[in-house]
Amino acid sequence: SSNEHKLNFKKSKEACLSYIQDALLQKQWKRAAEFLTCYVESLEKDYSREHIGPSEMIWRIGTEILWHHSQSSMKEFNCFMEQMKTLGVKRYLKVCLEHVFHLLCNGQIDEAYQNLSLAESWRFGEQTAIQDKEMKLIQAYRGLLDYCSWSKQKNILLEHGEDGFADLAVEQEMHGYFRKAAVNLKEIIKIPGVWDVFVKCYVDLLEFYGDHNEARQVLNEYAYNSKFPANPNAHVYLYQFLKRQGESKKSLISALKILHDIVPSHELMIDFNTMLQKSKKRKKRRLGLEVIFAALDYAGWKENAKAWSCLARQVKQIVISEKHLDWIKQEWNSRKDWWPAFHFSRYLAKRNWQENKSLSYEKALVAGILLGKDCKYFKYVSHQGCKAQLKRFRMLKKFVTRHNPVYLRISG
Amino acid sequence: MEFPAALFPSYFGAGPPREDGGPAPVAGWGEHGQVLEGGPGRCQVQPAFVPRRGATGERWEAADAASVPVLLPSAGCWIPSPAPQDILYRSSLCRKLRAGKSGATLDFARQLGHFFVDHPEDAFGSLGRLLHKNFYLGNAKLKRPARNSTIRMTALVEDIDRLEARRGCPRQHLASRLRWFSHLCRDWLFEVPLGLLADCLHEELTQQWSSLLFDDSLTGGALAWLPPEDGGTPVGCLVHPGGQAMNHLYFQNVVLEELPHARGSPAQFELSGRIRQVAAARVDGQDFVGVRSDYHCGVWRVPGKTGAAPAPLQVIRTDVPASCLTVSPHLPGELSVCTQSGTVYLWSVETGLQQLRHDPQTMFFRDHSPWRWSDFTAHPRVLSCADRTGLQCLDARAPKKCHFDLFKVGEEAGCQQGERVVLPMYLGRAHPSQYLVTTQFSVYVLDERLPLVPVLKWAHMMKAPPLFAHLMPGKPGRTHKLLLGASRTQELLLLQYRDSFWDVSTGGSQSACQLAGTPQKLHNISGCLQHLPTQLPHRHHLLQQRLSAPAAGLAATLQEDGPHKSMLIFQLSEAGDVIIDEEEEEEDMGTPTPLEKAELLQEPCASPQPSPVVPSPAAALRYRRWLRALSRAWREPSRHTWLPSLSQRRLFTRRDLEGPAGPSSLQKQMRQRLRQTMQEGGRIQRWEPLALQPPPLPQTLELAGGPDPLSTRLTAAWAGDWEQWWEERTSFSVAQRQRALRERRRRQKRARGRRSLSASFTSSLTYQSELSELSDVGPSLLSPARPPILSQEGSPPAGSPPVRSPPPSPAPDEALLSSQSLRYRGIPKERRKTLRDYLSVWAEGPPEPPEPLGSQASQLCIPSSQSQLSSASQPRRKRPRMGF
Repeated sequence: SSNEHKLNFKKSKEACLSYIQDALLQKQWKRAAEFLTCYVESLEKDYSREHIGPSEMIWRIGTEILWHHSQSSMKEFNCFMEQMKTLGVKRYLKVCLEHVFHLLCNGQIDEAYQNLSLAESWRFGEQTAIQDKEMKLIQAYRGLLDYCSWSKQKNILLEHGEDGFADLAVEQEMHGYFRKAAVNLKEIIKIPGVWDVFVKCYVDLLEFYGDHNEARQVLNEYAYNSKFPANPNAHVYLYQFLKRQGESKKSLISALKILHDIVPSHELMIDFNTMLQKSKKRKKRRLGLEVIFAALDYAGWKENAKAWSCLARQVKQIVISEKHLDWIKQEWNSRKDWWPAFHFSRYLAKRNWQENKSLSYEKALVAGILLGKDCKYFKYVSHQGCKAQLKRFRMLKKFVTRHNPVYLRISG
Repeated sequence: MEFPAALFPSYFGAGPPREDGGPAPVAGWGEHGQVLEGGPGRCQVQPAFVPRRGATGERWEAADAASVPVLLPSAGCWIPSPAPQDILYRSSLCRKLRAGKSGATLDFARQLGHFFVDHPEDAFGSLGRLLHKNFYLGNAKLKRPARNSTIRMTALVEDIDRLEARRGCPRQHLASRLRWFSHLCRDWLFEVPLGLLADCLHEELTQQWSSLLFDDSLTGGALAWLPPEDGGTPVGCLVHPGGQAMNHLYFQNVVLEELPHARGSPAQFELSGRIRQVAAARVDGQDFVGVRSDYHCGVWRVPGKTGAAPAPLQVIRTDVPASCLTVSPHLPGELSVCTQSGTVYLWSVETGLQQLRHDPQTMFFRDHSPWRWSDFTAHPRVLSCADRTGLQCLDARAPKKCHFDLFKVGEEAGCQQGERVVLPMYLGRAHPSQYLVTTQFSVYVLDERLPLVPVLKWAHMMKAPPLFAHLMPGKPGRTHKLLLGASRTQELLLLQYRDSFWDVSTGGSQSACQLAGTPQKLHNISGCLQHLPTQLPHRHHLLQQRLSAPAAGLAATLQEDGPHKSMLIFQLSEAGDVIIDEEEEEEDMGTPTPLEKAELLQEPCASPQPSPVVPSPAAALRYRRWLRALSRAWREPSRHTWLPSLSQRRLFTRRDLEGPAGPSSLQKQMRQRLRQTMQEGGRIQRWEPLALQPPPLPQTLELAGGPDPLSTRLTAAWAGDWEQWWEERTSFSVAQRQRALRERRRRQKRARGRRSLSASFTSSLTYQSELSELSDVGPSLLSPARPPILSQEGSPPAGSPPVRSPPPSPAPDEALLSSQSLRYRGIPKERRKTLRDYLSVWAEGPPEPPEPLGSQASQLCIPSSQSQLSSASQPRRKRPRMGF
């Protein structure tokens, strides 16, 4: 009966698919390609109402095979993609995007640009929400490529400008790219998302043409709009922009303070700490200590010699001045039950000493002050340092021994 | 670690997942996802782009044709866990399974039947004993008088068989006899109330079925590999469960040579529960191994030196099954524990347990699963905790105040509808702030500095959700390898990713996370079946069953021996309830192609070397050895435990079968006693030795330590379901009454049985016994309210009214002395009276145990045997006339 036939057809289709899958997962591209030619038949009787229909499967599998097959060429790939675009209206934009990505990754920027322009002009009835998003992405990527061309022209102009030779046509062309890029980039960064590349490019354009207010507004929106994800890069871009603009310390600090609040382990925290340490205000220096302590809480910072030296410097300052020991005490309070095992174990002392002497020096200083001269880490490092006749380690030992009472006050 | 200077573009939405769909078989292929400018940079002539997926990765090839067992199978047989066909209604099995619906039809009736057959004592114990005289199991037709009180079960069984054969027939309801029988017996035949039993069974069945569909107790896997110290001898330690109940923990040293093999005998610990998960982490050169069973979690420390003995540190017990145990990679002796009640603890060997969260509800939306998970993050005091709906991070110092959402099943991560978290894992060994989340559809890599937005997402296309994951961090410039393993289907997938790639444009800072190379399928456990020596069909079947058991754990290690790099993957199977099924698999790699530039993509791939089809001689030897040990293990238990085939010769000695040669000691004793008494002319008051005394009545529920009725009533009233209490109470007292009745009858019967012995030596006596027949109804439990039909068929009823109120339950003497029973024994009518007289002189029932039942019970049995027995020493001539 026809029903049985349908069932059998479905069964053999499934079997074929599983063979393909198996071949793909074992990198047997040729075998997969052979099976795929059989699978194409499934397009004929596509009764399925599944999430991913046969045409999409063929597109995905075919693409994967052509990426890896030893005998495939870019020409074949383009040809395949063109066919796939006509296979499903709903997927047209997605296939276009993927095609462009592949061209871009293979350095065929111009072809990619052509494809993007073509896709942009595509119209088919009413667009679904997903298609709308894809269209926006297509436009954004075109904007990005326009930006790349603009940047290229700009470099040419700058090079020639030094020679005192300005080409009006090149300049005109450059401004044209600017307009095209700006329009498209501006659109996408209004929608909530992660648009690091597009934002960077757009801000670069605006800055070049002196539209700092617009740039600032874009960056502020990107960083502070609550509909956007809490992207640390948004704050970094804002901070870098403010720095370029020569803004006051205060606004730089406030930008970094927000970054500190959302990502205490960001690498800019070292800059932040240095900035705060230099400040004359007590409150800021206090914040600096907090920032560096918080950064060193994270496993990724465990062996960051720069951060340890920041902490060591500030702790040393406080100990010498004997003012604000309560700052250290407060910071130490929430850490004294786990920092010793996390940072100052004997095992780590050994390892740090073997791998990075200056790191172990900074850490030993901090350990000596926070945990006293009897702490394992300090004892091991200072002993090794003295044995190796290193002067700074002898100084370190003296310093810690002299200030040992501090430890009692901190931990008390 | 620095934050990438630019991330791949992506949309960000909030709210529940919009995309509907389901498992898509090829969703992971053919997509770059997004591209990012990551090449020489914008100052150059040509910008270069890198894809999120599709960059070249390292190439790994299988070194051998299949995986090879590492350890020899231990003695003791493995009992396979239930399969779908054991639980499901047969005819719908195939269809439902294929459709993948959980709405499969459970074969409830069959399971209940199994229960009755397998545990008859528990199902019908007391009533079976009580009624066995009334059930006839033979084939012969029942004779008239017996037919009155006996049911021929054979006919019923035939009916049942017929019913089975006619399954699906529209006229099957015509089995009236069955209907009649079940209607009659349903309420009282069962030891455990049928409704209750059915509820329990159904609950168990659905639970078994759901664990068959997806067993999350295995999450994380029960296998750990403790790698050797850098530069030390290449001897690592494999931590795995074993034994018949998987409750033994083994620490086995394994030498990593050409073909890794066990060295020495393992350190072994016996635990009090099946081991579900083994987790390990290395802190300060020492390995900490956490072991989870349902109600116990334990932690061991293995010192770094090779050959050092593992030391158990601490054990905790939980009231609710624990669902997760992870070991801190930051601080020695710290673990995190979750229980199914929604509690998350930070467990420190030094300071004990600290509860971080207790919330039986799921975090982001309602999901019924009690599964919880927890792991560590980049900050040693911040723990992630997960349920099926997502992940949150909590600060252990202020868990209520400081927390943030790391992952949500929703539009934020572009999830599909119905997607659920299966396994979260901290990827700290590769990148301190990255996190893996697997769902049944996709794998996500998250960066805790940018919560909610996955930095990597890929549809893994596995048929079963990945319950196990193992990370092998790559050295700088190389990819990190991630293994995903599924339990039921034994799938094993190798992924490679880079946490960053070199980005020249930003002056060498880090750039975003990308997936490298294509995912690869690795050998699974059942794959070695075809390479084992040929077996007899039934052996082959057993072997197949064993090797295709669900996987239970996964561990792996990378090994570098100069230019030669290899990856060793250990798998544990659940069937490998016995250890061996732990399979070792060696993946050899070709030359790793370090990807740098996008142009490399264009490079023609070298023709893929087909993996060897025949196992190496060393592997073949290993297979043979393993098989030999296995067949030994199969043979051994058969010596101890007998299969159901029973031999009569072994059950009984010849002497047993010959029958008693002489009277038993008890008989001798009795005879002697009787003779003595007769000589003395006395009488025997207590016939039986003490040992034969009836067991005390089972205590009633109220005496069994429950609260007194008043307080239960008050409690019920307070809780608002007083009405229900009353219902129960009334039904309880009915049951109580019934029980009392039953008990009484049982006693009567026993008494009758005992005394019937004496009936054999009675003198002849006549007695007009006809009247007593009415009281000799026998245990008319089938229809207590029915008028005694027996009176109509016996000897003439002598003018007794044909219908009357239910007779009082007969006293034992009555039963014994009834004309019917005497007639049965062939005692002539004229001698019956003499006999009665004689017996009534000495017959006295055993002392009744005190009646624990309430007053209603004794009211019910007014002419109770108790009152009559107390006067049993008097002549009882008149008694049969009682009631007239």
